[in-house]
Amino acid sequence: MRKTNNVIKIKDFKVDKGLPFDQEYNFAYLDENTKKMIRRAIIKALCIPGYQVPFASREMPMPYGWGTGGVQVTASCLTKRDTLKIIDQGADDTTNAVSIRNFFKKTSNIKTTEITEKATLIQTRHRIPETPLKKKQIFVYQVPIPEPLAFLEPKISETIKMHSLSEYGAMHVKLYEDISKNGHIETAYAYPVKTNDRYIMDPSPIPKFDNPKMNNSPAIQLFGAGREQRIYAIPPYTKVKSLDFEDYPFDPFKAEHACDICGSKNTYLDEIIVDDAGNKSFICSDTDFCNKRKNK
Amino acid sequence: MISPLLNVTNLSKSYDNIVGCKNISMSLYPGEVLGIVGESGSGKTTLINCLSGNLEPDRGKIIFNINNKETDFLNISESEKRKFIRTDLAFVHQNPRDGLRLNVSAGGNIGEKLMSVGNRHYGNIRSLATKWMNKVEIDKNRIDDLPITFSGGMLQRLQIAKNLITSPNVIFMDEPTGGLDVSVQARVLDLVRSLVNELNLTVIIVSHDLAVIRLLADKMIVMKNGAVIESGLSDQVLEDPQQEYTQLLVSSVLHV
Repeated sequence: MRKTNNVIKIKDFKVDKGLPFDQEYNFAYLDENTKKMIRRAIIKALCIPGYQVPFASREMPMPYGWGTGGVQVTASCLTKRDTLKIIDQGADDTTNAVSIRNFFKKTSNIKTTEITEKATLIQTRHRIPETPLKKKQIFVYQVPIPEPLAFLEPKISETIKMHSLSEYGAMHVKLYEDISKNGHIETAYAYPVKTNDRYIMDPSPIPKFDNPKMNNSPAIQLFGAGREQRIYAIPPYTKVKSLDFEDYPFDPFKAEHACDICGSKNTYLDEIIVDDAGNKSFICSDTDFCNKRKNK
Repeated sequence: MISPLLNVTNLSKSYDNIVGCKNISMSLYPGEVLGIVGESGSGKTTLINCLSGNLEPDRGKIIFNINNKETDFLNISESEKRKFIRTDLAFVHQNPRDGLRLNVSAGGNIGEKLMSVGNRHYGNIRSLATKWMNKVEIDKNRIDDLPITFSGGMLQRLQIAKNLITSPNVIFMDEPTGGLDVSVQARVLDLVRSLVNELNLTVIIVSHDLAVIRLLADKMIVMKNGAVIESGLSDQVLEDPQQEYTQLLVSSVLHV
Protein backbone atom coordinates (compact mmCIF):
# COMPACT_ATOMS: atom_id res chain seq x y z
CA MET A 1 0.00 0.00 0.00
CA ARG A 2 1.49 3.32 -1.01
CA LYS A 3 0.75 6.44 0.98
CA THR A 4 1.14 9.70 -0.90
CA ASN A 5 0.05 12.25 1.67
CA ASN A 6 3.39 12.69 3.42
CA VAL A 7 5.54 13.59 0.42
CA ILE A 8 5.14 17.35 0.76
CA LYS A 9 6.94 17.33 4.11
CA ILE A 10 10.39 16.79 2.65
CA LYS A 11 12.45 19.81 3.55
CA ASP A 12 14.36 20.67 0.41
CA PHE A 13 11.75 19.41 -2.00
CA LYS A 14 11.71 21.57 -5.09
CA VAL A 15 8.75 21.63 -7.40
CA ASP A 16 9.92 20.33 -10.74
CA LYS A 17 7.20 19.61 -13.23
CA GLY A 18 5.11 18.02 -10.54
CA LEU A 19 7.25 15.05 -9.64
CA PRO A 20 7.29 14.57 -5.90
CA PHE A 21 9.97 12.65 -4.08
CA ASP A 22 8.46 9.33 -3.19
CA GLN A 23 9.84 8.20 0.14
CA GLU A 24 8.34 4.77 -0.15
CA TYR A 25 11.22 3.77 -2.38
CA ASN A 26 14.65 2.96 -1.10
CA PHE A 27 17.14 5.71 -2.00
CA ALA A 28 17.66 5.55 -5.80
CA TYR A 29 15.09 2.78 -6.19
CA LEU A 30 17.34 -0.29 -5.89
CA ASP A 31 17.60 -2.10 -2.56
CA GLU A 32 20.92 -1.92 -0.75
CA ASN A 33 21.88 -5.53 -1.42
CA THR A 34 21.44 -5.09 -5.12
CA LYS A 35 23.52 -1.94 -5.06
CA LYS A 36 26.23 -3.78 -3.18
CA MET A 37 26.24 -6.53 -5.80
CA ILE A 38 26.46 -3.99 -8.60
CA ARG A 39 29.21 -2.00 -6.85
CA ARG A 40 31.24 -5.18 -6.58
CA ALA A 41 30.84 -5.72 -10.31
CA ILE A 42 31.87 -2.11 -10.91
CA ILE A 43 34.99 -2.45 -8.77
CA LYS A 44 35.96 -5.60 -10.61
CA ALA A 45 35.33 -3.88 -13.93
CA LEU A 46 37.56 -0.97 -12.91
CA CYS A 47 40.34 -3.37 -11.97
CA ILE A 48 40.26 -5.00 -15.41
CA PRO A 49 39.68 -2.15 -17.87
CA GLY A 50 37.41 -3.16 -20.75
CA TYR A 51 36.56 -6.60 -19.34
CA GLN A 52 32.86 -7.41 -19.27
CA VAL A 53 31.79 -8.38 -15.77
CA PRO A 54 28.52 -10.32 -15.56
CA PHE A 55 26.04 -9.10 -12.97
CA ALA A 56 22.54 -10.04 -11.89
CA SER A 57 20.70 -7.31 -13.73
CA ARG A 58 17.34 -6.44 -12.16
CA GLU A 59 14.04 -5.69 -13.75
CA MET A 60 13.70 -1.95 -13.80
CA PRO A 61 10.44 0.00 -14.10
CA MET A 62 11.25 0.88 -17.70
CA PRO A 63 11.65 -1.17 -20.85
CA TYR A 64 14.92 -2.72 -22.01
CA GLY A 65 16.58 -0.39 -24.44
CA TRP A 66 15.78 2.63 -22.30
CA GLY A 67 18.99 2.35 -20.37
CA THR A 68 18.17 -0.17 -17.67
CA GLY A 69 21.86 -1.05 -17.37
CA GLY A 70 22.98 2.54 -17.09
CA VAL A 71 20.20 3.27 -14.61
CA GLN A 72 21.28 0.41 -12.37
CA VAL A 73 24.91 1.56 -12.44
CA THR A 74 23.84 5.14 -11.72
CA ALA A 75 21.56 4.03 -8.88
CA SER A 76 24.41 2.08 -7.31
CA CYS A 77 26.89 4.97 -7.52
CA LEU A 78 24.50 7.72 -6.46
CA THR A 79 24.90 9.39 -3.05
CA LYS A 80 22.79 12.12 -1.51
CA ARG A 81 25.50 14.69 -2.23
CA ASP A 82 25.57 13.96 -5.96
CA THR A 83 24.43 16.27 -8.72
CA LEU A 84 23.04 14.29 -11.60
CA LYS A 85 22.97 15.09 -15.29
CA ILE A 86 21.24 12.83 -17.79
CA ILE A 87 21.69 13.16 -21.53
CA ASP A 88 20.27 11.34 -24.49
CA GLN A 89 22.04 11.93 -27.83
CA GLY A 90 23.71 14.90 -26.16
CA ALA A 91 20.44 16.57 -25.21
CA ASP A 92 19.07 17.09 -21.71
CA ASP A 93 15.49 17.52 -22.85
CA THR A 94 14.69 14.40 -24.87
CA THR A 95 12.24 11.76 -23.71
CA ASN A 96 14.79 9.27 -22.49
CA ALA A 97 16.81 11.85 -20.56
CA VAL A 98 13.75 13.51 -19.03
CA SER A 99 12.26 10.18 -17.97
CA ILE A 100 15.41 8.92 -16.31
CA ARG A 101 16.05 12.26 -14.61
CA ASN A 102 12.48 12.27 -13.27
CA PHE A 103 12.93 8.69 -12.15
CA PHE A 104 15.91 9.61 -10.00
CA LYS A 105 14.26 12.77 -8.73
CA LYS A 106 11.30 10.76 -7.65
CA THR A 107 13.27 7.97 -6.01
CA SER A 108 16.25 9.83 -4.53
CA ASN A 109 15.47 13.55 -4.43
CA ILE A 110 19.02 14.47 -5.45
CA LYS A 111 20.03 17.65 -7.23
CA THR A 112 20.04 17.56 -11.00
CA THR A 113 21.69 19.84 -13.49
CA GLU A 114 22.07 20.35 -17.19
CA ILE A 115 25.52 21.87 -16.84
CA THR A 116 28.27 19.34 -17.48
CA GLU A 117 30.85 20.96 -15.17
CA LYS A 118 28.44 21.02 -12.23
CA ALA A 119 27.48 17.37 -12.42
CA THR A 120 29.24 14.78 -10.32
CA LEU A 121 27.51 11.92 -12.07
CA ILE A 122 26.45 11.93 -15.70
CA GLN A 123 24.44 9.21 -17.37
CA THR A 124 24.48 9.22 -21.12
CA ARG A 125 22.92 7.60 -24.11
CA HIS A 126 25.01 7.85 -27.31
CA ARG A 127 27.21 10.89 -26.58
CA ILE A 128 30.11 12.19 -24.53
CA PRO A 129 29.68 15.91 -23.71
CA GLU A 130 31.79 18.45 -25.59
CA THR A 131 32.90 19.98 -22.28
CA PRO A 132 35.84 17.82 -21.16
CA LEU A 133 35.08 15.53 -18.23
CA LYS A 134 36.88 16.22 -14.98
CA LYS A 135 38.45 14.41 -12.10
CA LYS A 136 35.90 13.03 -9.62
CA GLN A 137 33.14 12.86 -12.20
CA ILE A 138 31.50 9.51 -12.87
CA PHE A 139 30.33 9.00 -16.42
CA VAL A 140 27.80 6.20 -17.02
CA TYR A 141 27.06 4.84 -20.50
CA GLN A 142 23.90 2.99 -21.48
CA VAL A 143 24.93 -0.05 -23.51
CA PRO A 144 22.63 -2.11 -25.75
CA ILE A 145 25.12 -4.77 -26.94
CA PRO A 146 28.29 -4.99 -24.85
CA GLU A 147 30.01 -7.68 -26.91
CA PRO A 148 32.14 -6.16 -29.70
CA LEU A 149 32.75 -9.61 -31.19
CA ALA A 150 29.04 -10.47 -31.47
CA PHE A 151 29.07 -9.59 -35.17
CA LEU A 152 31.72 -12.25 -35.86
CA GLU A 153 30.98 -14.92 -33.31
CA PRO A 154 27.44 -15.54 -32.11
CA LYS A 155 28.46 -17.97 -29.32
CA ILE A 156 29.10 -16.18 -26.04
CA SER A 157 31.16 -19.08 -24.71
CA GLU A 158 33.44 -18.60 -27.70
CA THR A 159 33.70 -14.80 -27.43
CA ILE A 160 34.66 -15.16 -23.76
CA LYS A 161 37.47 -17.44 -24.86
CA MET A 162 38.52 -15.04 -27.60
CA HIS A 163 38.73 -12.24 -25.05
CA SER A 164 40.64 -14.29 -22.53
CA LEU A 165 43.20 -15.36 -25.14
CA SER A 166 43.30 -11.95 -26.89
CA GLU A 167 42.24 -13.55 -30.16
CA TYR A 168 41.23 -10.31 -31.76
CA GLY A 169 42.41 -10.66 -35.36
CA ALA A 170 38.92 -11.38 -36.58
CA MET A 171 37.83 -7.99 -35.24
CA HIS A 172 39.60 -6.37 -38.16
CA VAL A 173 37.45 -8.41 -40.55
CA LYS A 174 34.62 -6.06 -39.72
CA LEU A 175 36.73 -3.02 -40.57
CA TYR A 176 38.02 -4.77 -43.70
CA GLU A 177 34.44 -5.30 -44.83
CA ASP A 178 33.72 -1.62 -44.30
CA ILE A 179 36.62 -0.49 -46.44
CA SER A 180 35.91 -3.00 -49.20
CA LYS A 181 32.27 -1.95 -49.36
CA ASN A 182 32.65 1.80 -48.94
CA GLY A 183 36.25 2.73 -49.55
CA HIS A 184 36.67 3.86 -45.96
CA ILE A 185 35.78 2.64 -42.49
CA GLU A 186 32.06 3.27 -42.50
CA THR A 187 31.42 2.30 -38.88
CA ALA A 188 30.29 5.64 -37.49
CA TYR A 189 29.15 4.66 -34.02
CA ALA A 190 29.95 1.86 -31.55
CA TYR A 191 33.43 1.97 -33.06
CA PRO A 192 35.50 -0.74 -31.34
CA VAL A 193 38.40 0.29 -29.12
CA LYS A 194 41.24 -1.46 -27.35
CA THR A 195 41.36 -0.56 -23.68
CA ASN A 196 44.65 -0.46 -21.78
CA ASP A 197 46.32 -2.43 -24.62
CA ARG A 198 44.35 -5.51 -23.64
CA TYR A 199 40.58 -5.85 -24.02
CA ILE A 200 38.63 -4.94 -27.09
CA MET A 201 35.55 -3.05 -26.01
CA ASP A 202 32.37 -1.71 -27.50
CA PRO A 203 32.17 1.93 -26.42
CA SER A 204 28.33 1.80 -26.71
CA PRO A 205 26.73 3.57 -29.67
CA ILE A 206 28.53 6.88 -29.25
CA PRO A 207 29.65 8.46 -32.54
CA LYS A 208 33.26 7.67 -33.37
CA PHE A 209 33.81 11.43 -33.10
CA ASP A 210 33.65 10.90 -29.32
CA ASN A 211 36.10 7.98 -29.20
CA PRO A 212 39.21 10.11 -28.60
CA LYS A 213 37.50 11.65 -25.54
CA MET A 214 37.61 8.30 -23.78
CA ASN A 215 41.38 8.13 -24.02
CA ASN A 216 43.19 9.19 -20.87
CA SER A 217 40.06 10.78 -19.43
CA PRO A 218 40.31 11.98 -15.81
CA ALA A 219 36.74 10.80 -15.13
CA ILE A 220 35.61 7.31 -14.18
CA GLN A 221 33.77 5.77 -17.14
CA LEU A 222 31.27 3.00 -16.40
CA PHE A 223 29.24 0.99 -18.90
CA GLY A 224 26.01 -0.81 -17.99
CA ALA A 225 24.13 -3.27 -20.21
CA GLY A 226 20.90 -4.27 -18.48
CA ARG A 227 19.45 -6.81 -20.88
CA GLU A 228 22.82 -8.45 -21.54
CA GLN A 229 23.72 -8.28 -17.83
CA ARG A 230 27.23 -6.91 -18.23
CA ILE A 231 29.17 -4.06 -16.63
CA TYR A 232 32.52 -2.81 -17.85
CA ALA A 233 34.62 0.23 -17.12
CA ILE A 234 37.50 2.49 -18.01
CA PRO A 235 39.36 3.78 -14.95
CA PRO A 236 40.70 7.36 -15.05
CA TYR A 237 43.78 8.03 -17.18
CA THR A 238 43.55 4.80 -19.18
CA LYS A 239 44.72 4.37 -22.74
CA VAL A 240 41.81 3.79 -25.13
CA LYS A 241 42.72 3.26 -28.76
CA SER A 242 40.31 2.96 -31.70
CA LEU A 243 41.05 0.03 -34.02
CA ASP A 244 42.23 0.79 -37.54
CA PHE A 245 44.50 -0.28 -40.40
CA GLU A 246 47.94 1.18 -41.03
CA ASP A 247 46.83 2.48 -44.41
CA TYR A 248 43.34 3.46 -43.20
CA PRO A 249 43.93 5.25 -39.89
CA PHE A 250 41.11 6.04 -37.48
CA ASP A 251 39.18 9.16 -38.48
CA PRO A 252 36.81 10.81 -35.96
CA PHE A 253 34.36 12.03 -38.55
CA LYS A 254 31.90 14.89 -38.11
CA ALA A 255 29.67 16.82 -40.50
CA GLU A 256 31.60 19.59 -42.28
CA HIS A 257 29.54 22.46 -40.99
CA ALA A 258 29.39 24.92 -38.15
CA CYS A 259 26.50 24.84 -35.69
CA ASP A 260 23.66 27.02 -36.95
CA ILE A 261 22.81 28.12 -33.41
CA CYS A 262 26.14 28.75 -31.70
CA GLY A 263 28.56 28.67 -34.63
CA SER A 264 30.83 26.03 -33.14
CA LYS A 265 33.00 24.36 -35.76
CA ASN A 266 34.49 21.52 -33.76
CA THR A 267 31.50 19.90 -32.10
CA TYR A 268 29.39 16.96 -33.14
CA LEU A 269 26.34 18.11 -35.10
CA ASP A 270 22.82 16.83 -35.67
CA GLU A 271 21.46 17.19 -39.17
CA ILE A 272 17.88 18.41 -39.13
CA ILE A 273 15.49 18.74 -42.07
CA VAL A 274 13.74 22.07 -41.52
CA ASP A 275 11.13 22.30 -44.25
CA ASP A 276 9.30 20.36 -46.95
CA ALA A 277 11.86 21.47 -49.54
CA GLY A 278 14.49 19.36 -47.80
CA ASN A 279 16.56 22.26 -46.48
CA LYS A 280 18.89 21.24 -43.70
CA SER A 281 20.14 22.77 -40.54
CA PHE A 282 23.11 21.57 -38.50
CA ILE A 283 23.06 22.10 -34.77
CA CYS A 284 25.16 20.89 -31.84
CA SER A 285 23.89 17.64 -30.40
CA ASP A 286 25.22 18.72 -26.99
CA THR A 287 22.47 21.14 -25.92
CA ASP A 288 24.26 22.29 -22.78
CA PHE A 289 27.43 23.22 -24.66
CA CYS A 290 25.43 24.95 -27.39
CA ASN A 291 23.35 27.00 -24.94
CA LYS A 292 26.42 28.13 -23.05
CA ARG A 293 28.15 29.28 -26.24
CA LYS A 294 25.04 31.01 -27.50
CA ASN A 295 24.57 32.94 -24.25
CA LYS A 296 28.17 34.09 -24.07
CA MET B 1 67.42 -38.23 -42.21
CA ILE B 2 64.23 -36.23 -42.11
CA SER B 3 62.26 -36.52 -38.89
CA PRO B 4 58.50 -36.87 -39.00
CA LEU B 5 56.38 -33.73 -38.82
CA LEU B 6 53.70 -35.48 -36.84
CA ASN B 7 53.95 -38.48 -34.57
CA VAL B 8 50.84 -40.10 -33.13
CA THR B 9 51.03 -42.86 -30.54
CA ASN B 10 48.17 -44.96 -29.20
CA LEU B 11 45.50 -42.36 -29.74
CA SER B 12 42.08 -43.35 -28.43
CA LYS B 13 38.80 -41.56 -28.21
CA SER B 14 35.42 -42.96 -27.28
CA TYR B 15 32.03 -41.39 -26.84
CA ASP B 16 30.71 -42.98 -23.65
CA ASN B 17 30.78 -46.67 -24.61
CA ILE B 18 30.99 -46.13 -28.33
CA VAL B 19 34.47 -46.37 -29.76
CA GLY B 20 35.50 -43.41 -31.90
CA CYS B 21 39.02 -44.54 -32.62
CA LYS B 22 41.36 -46.77 -30.66
CA ASN B 23 45.12 -47.17 -30.37
CA ILE B 24 45.99 -45.28 -33.49
CA SER B 25 49.70 -44.84 -34.14
CA MET B 26 51.09 -43.19 -37.22
CA SER B 27 53.58 -40.67 -38.47
CA LEU B 28 53.63 -38.08 -41.20
CA TYR B 29 56.66 -36.60 -42.95
CA PRO B 30 56.97 -33.10 -44.41
CA GLY B 31 55.53 -32.81 -47.91
CA GLU B 32 53.60 -36.03 -47.55
CA VAL B 33 49.92 -36.51 -48.33
CA LEU B 34 48.25 -39.09 -46.11
CA GLY B 35 44.86 -40.50 -47.02
CA ILE B 36 42.50 -41.93 -44.42
CA VAL B 37 39.79 -44.21 -45.81
CA GLY B 38 37.11 -46.34 -44.25
CA GLU B 39 33.36 -46.74 -44.20
CA SER B 40 30.99 -44.36 -42.45
CA GLY B 41 31.40 -44.59 -38.69
CA SER B 42 34.87 -46.11 -38.90
CA GLY B 43 36.42 -43.24 -36.94
CA LYS B 44 38.04 -41.23 -39.73
CA THR B 45 36.51 -37.95 -38.69
CA THR B 46 37.11 -38.62 -34.99
CA LEU B 47 40.78 -39.17 -35.75
CA ILE B 48 41.20 -36.05 -37.87
CA ASN B 49 39.28 -33.99 -35.32
CA CYS B 50 41.61 -35.20 -32.54
CA LEU B 51 44.67 -34.40 -34.60
CA SER B 52 43.49 -30.94 -35.54
CA GLY B 53 42.49 -29.96 -32.01
CA ASN B 54 38.73 -30.00 -32.52
CA LEU B 55 38.33 -32.92 -30.14
CA GLU B 56 40.13 -33.90 -26.96
CA PRO B 57 41.25 -37.57 -27.17
CA ASP B 58 41.00 -39.83 -24.10
CA ARG B 59 44.47 -41.30 -24.34
CA GLY B 60 47.58 -41.14 -26.48
CA LYS B 61 50.19 -38.72 -27.70
CA ILE B 62 50.29 -36.24 -30.54
CA ILE B 63 53.68 -34.65 -31.18
CA PHE B 64 54.20 -32.06 -33.90
CA ASN B 65 57.77 -31.36 -34.91
CA ILE B 66 57.81 -28.12 -36.85
CA ASN B 67 61.06 -26.35 -37.68
CA ASN B 68 62.86 -28.54 -35.12
CA LYS B 69 60.48 -27.41 -32.42
CA GLU B 70 58.55 -30.16 -30.72
CA THR B 71 55.00 -29.44 -29.64
CA ASP B 72 53.28 -31.89 -27.35
CA PHE B 73 49.85 -31.08 -28.69
CA LEU B 74 47.83 -32.56 -25.83
CA ASN B 75 49.94 -31.07 -23.05
CA ILE B 76 50.14 -27.41 -23.95
CA SER B 77 48.02 -24.63 -22.52
CA GLU B 78 44.79 -23.61 -24.18
CA SER B 79 46.27 -20.34 -25.42
CA GLU B 80 49.38 -22.03 -26.87
CA LYS B 81 47.19 -24.65 -28.47
CA ARG B 82 44.92 -22.12 -30.12
CA LYS B 83 47.90 -20.13 -31.32
CA PHE B 84 49.41 -23.31 -32.76
CA ILE B 85 46.16 -24.20 -34.50
CA ARG B 86 45.90 -20.67 -35.85
CA THR B 87 49.40 -20.46 -37.25
CA ASP B 88 50.50 -24.02 -38.04
CA LEU B 89 47.35 -25.98 -38.86
CA ALA B 90 44.48 -25.57 -41.28
CA PHE B 91 41.21 -27.41 -41.56
CA VAL B 92 39.17 -27.72 -44.73
CA HIS B 93 35.65 -28.82 -43.86
CA GLN B 94 33.52 -31.10 -45.97
CA ASN B 95 30.83 -28.45 -46.02
CA PRO B 96 32.49 -25.16 -46.93
CA ARG B 97 29.74 -23.34 -45.06
CA ASP B 98 31.28 -24.66 -41.83
CA GLY B 99 34.64 -23.13 -42.62
CA LEU B 100 33.54 -19.79 -44.02
CA ARG B 101 31.82 -16.74 -42.65
CA LEU B 102 28.83 -16.47 -44.94
CA ASN B 103 28.03 -12.88 -43.96
CA VAL B 104 31.55 -11.72 -44.78
CA SER B 105 32.79 -11.07 -48.32
CA ALA B 106 35.12 -13.49 -50.13
CA GLY B 107 38.07 -11.14 -49.61
CA GLY B 108 37.29 -10.78 -45.92
CA ASN B 109 37.14 -14.55 -45.57
CA ILE B 110 40.47 -15.08 -47.27
CA GLY B 111 42.07 -12.21 -45.35
CA GLU B 112 40.80 -13.22 -41.91
CA LYS B 113 43.73 -15.50 -41.10
CA LEU B 114 46.19 -12.80 -42.12
CA MET B 115 44.50 -10.36 -39.79
CA SER B 116 44.43 -12.90 -36.98
CA VAL B 117 48.21 -13.34 -37.20
CA GLY B 118 48.64 -9.58 -36.94
CA ASN B 119 48.54 -8.15 -40.47
CA ARG B 120 47.18 -4.60 -40.18
CA HIS B 121 47.69 -3.23 -43.68
CA TYR B 122 44.50 -3.22 -45.75
CA GLY B 123 46.31 -2.88 -49.08
CA ASN B 124 48.59 -5.85 -48.43
CA ILE B 125 45.74 -8.03 -47.18
CA ARG B 126 43.69 -7.20 -50.24
CA SER B 127 46.44 -7.87 -52.75
CA LEU B 128 47.27 -11.20 -51.12
CA ALA B 129 43.58 -12.11 -51.11
CA THR B 130 43.38 -11.26 -54.81
CA LYS B 131 46.44 -13.39 -55.50
CA TRP B 132 44.81 -16.34 -53.76
CA MET B 133 41.52 -15.84 -55.56
CA ASN B 134 43.54 -16.26 -58.76
CA LYS B 135 45.30 -19.31 -57.42
CA VAL B 136 42.06 -21.09 -56.66
CA GLU B 137 40.58 -19.95 -59.96
CA ILE B 138 37.87 -17.63 -58.68
CA ASP B 139 37.30 -14.46 -60.71
CA LYS B 140 38.99 -11.68 -58.77
CA ASN B 141 36.10 -9.33 -59.52
CA ARG B 142 34.07 -11.35 -57.04
CA ILE B 143 36.31 -10.44 -54.13
CA ASP B 144 33.63 -8.28 -52.53
CA ASP B 145 30.76 -10.70 -53.09
CA LEU B 146 29.28 -12.69 -50.25
CA PRO B 147 29.92 -16.44 -50.23
CA ILE B 148 26.19 -17.13 -50.35
CA THR B 149 26.26 -15.99 -53.98
CA PHE B 150 28.92 -18.63 -54.82
CA SER B 151 28.35 -22.12 -56.20
CA GLY B 152 29.31 -25.20 -54.17
CA GLY B 153 32.57 -25.72 -56.01
CA MET B 154 33.54 -22.06 -55.71
CA LEU B 155 32.76 -22.14 -52.00
CA GLN B 156 35.06 -25.11 -51.54
CA ARG B 157 37.84 -23.39 -53.48
CA LEU B 158 37.28 -20.26 -51.43
CA GLN B 159 37.60 -22.30 -48.25
CA ILE B 160 40.86 -23.78 -49.52
CA ALA B 161 42.24 -20.32 -50.27
CA LYS B 162 41.19 -19.09 -46.84
CA ASN B 163 43.08 -21.95 -45.21
CA LEU B 164 46.25 -21.88 -47.27
CA ILE B 165 46.96 -18.16 -47.28
CA THR B 166 49.13 -18.26 -44.15
CA SER B 167 51.08 -21.31 -45.40
CA PRO B 168 50.16 -23.66 -42.57
CA ASN B 169 52.42 -26.64 -41.89
CA VAL B 170 49.77 -29.33 -41.79
CA ILE B 171 46.46 -29.17 -43.63
CA PHE B 172 43.53 -31.36 -42.66
CA MET B 173 40.84 -32.03 -45.21
CA ASP B 174 37.65 -33.79 -44.26
CA GLU B 175 36.02 -35.09 -47.44
CA PRO B 176 36.84 -31.91 -49.33
CA THR B 177 34.93 -33.07 -52.40
CA GLY B 178 32.12 -34.81 -50.51
CA GLY B 179 29.15 -32.69 -51.39
CA LEU B 180 30.13 -31.76 -54.94
CA ASP B 181 29.01 -33.16 -58.27
CA VAL B 182 31.54 -35.18 -60.24
CA SER B 183 32.79 -32.54 -62.65
CA VAL B 184 33.20 -29.99 -59.87
CA GLN B 185 34.90 -32.67 -57.76
CA ALA B 186 37.42 -33.19 -60.54
CA ARG B 187 38.15 -29.49 -60.70
CA VAL B 188 38.62 -29.14 -56.94
CA LEU B 189 40.81 -32.25 -56.87
CA ASP B 190 42.88 -30.91 -59.71
CA LEU B 191 43.34 -27.68 -57.81
CA VAL B 192 44.30 -29.43 -54.59
CA ARG B 193 46.76 -31.63 -56.46
CA SER B 194 48.46 -28.72 -58.16
CA LEU B 195 48.64 -26.75 -54.90
CA VAL B 196 50.13 -29.75 -53.12
CA ASN B 197 52.82 -30.04 -55.78
CA GLU B 198 53.46 -26.34 -56.12
CA LEU B 199 53.63 -25.49 -52.42
CA ASN B 200 54.91 -28.83 -51.13
CA LEU B 201 52.03 -29.08 -48.66
CA THR B 202 51.70 -31.64 -45.93
CA VAL B 203 48.13 -32.89 -45.98
CA ILE B 204 45.97 -35.37 -44.12
CA ILE B 205 42.92 -36.08 -46.20
CA VAL B 206 39.88 -38.06 -45.14
CA SER B 207 37.73 -39.60 -47.81
CA HIS B 208 35.62 -42.62 -48.53
CA ASP B 209 36.29 -42.12 -52.20
CA LEU B 210 39.25 -44.28 -53.17
CA ALA B 211 39.75 -42.35 -56.40
CA VAL B 212 40.44 -39.20 -54.41
CA ILE B 213 43.00 -41.04 -52.32
CA ARG B 214 44.67 -42.61 -55.33
CA LEU B 215 44.93 -39.22 -57.01
CA LEU B 216 46.27 -37.27 -54.06
CA ALA B 217 47.73 -39.46 -51.34
CA ASP B 218 51.26 -40.83 -51.12
CA LYS B 219 50.43 -43.00 -48.15
CA MET B 220 47.15 -44.21 -46.82
CA ILE B 221 45.60 -45.89 -43.83
CA VAL B 222 42.43 -47.94 -43.83
CA MET B 223 40.16 -47.76 -40.79
CA LYS B 224 37.42 -50.03 -39.59
CA ASN B 225 35.53 -49.90 -36.29
CA GLY B 226 37.86 -47.24 -34.96
CA ALA B 227 41.11 -49.08 -35.62
CA VAL B 228 43.72 -48.95 -38.38
CA ILE B 229 43.55 -52.27 -40.18
CA GLU B 230 45.94 -51.58 -43.01
CA SER B 231 48.48 -48.93 -43.94
CA GLY B 232 51.22 -48.27 -46.45
CA LEU B 233 51.92 -46.57 -49.78
CA SER B 234 48.63 -45.82 -51.52
CA ASP B 235 49.53 -47.61 -54.72
CA GLN B 236 50.60 -50.65 -52.76
CA VAL B 237 47.49 -50.81 -50.62
CA LEU B 238 45.17 -50.18 -53.52
CA GLU B 239 46.90 -52.64 -55.89
CA ASP B 240 47.45 -55.39 -53.39
CA PRO B 241 45.10 -55.10 -50.43
CA GLN B 242 45.88 -57.59 -47.67
CA GLN B 243 42.88 -57.27 -45.39
CA GLU B 244 39.52 -58.66 -46.28
CA TYR B 245 37.81 -55.35 -45.65
CA THR B 246 40.27 -53.43 -47.82
CA GLN B 247 39.79 -55.99 -50.60
CA LEU B 248 36.07 -55.47 -50.35
CA LEU B 249 36.53 -51.71 -50.43
CA VAL B 250 38.78 -51.80 -53.47
CA SER B 251 36.57 -54.25 -55.34
CA SER B 252 33.44 -52.25 -54.65
CA VAL B 253 34.65 -49.25 -56.63
CA LEU B 254 32.43 -48.81 -59.65
CA HIS B 255 34.13 -48.70 -63.00
CA VAL B 256 32.30 -46.87 -65.71
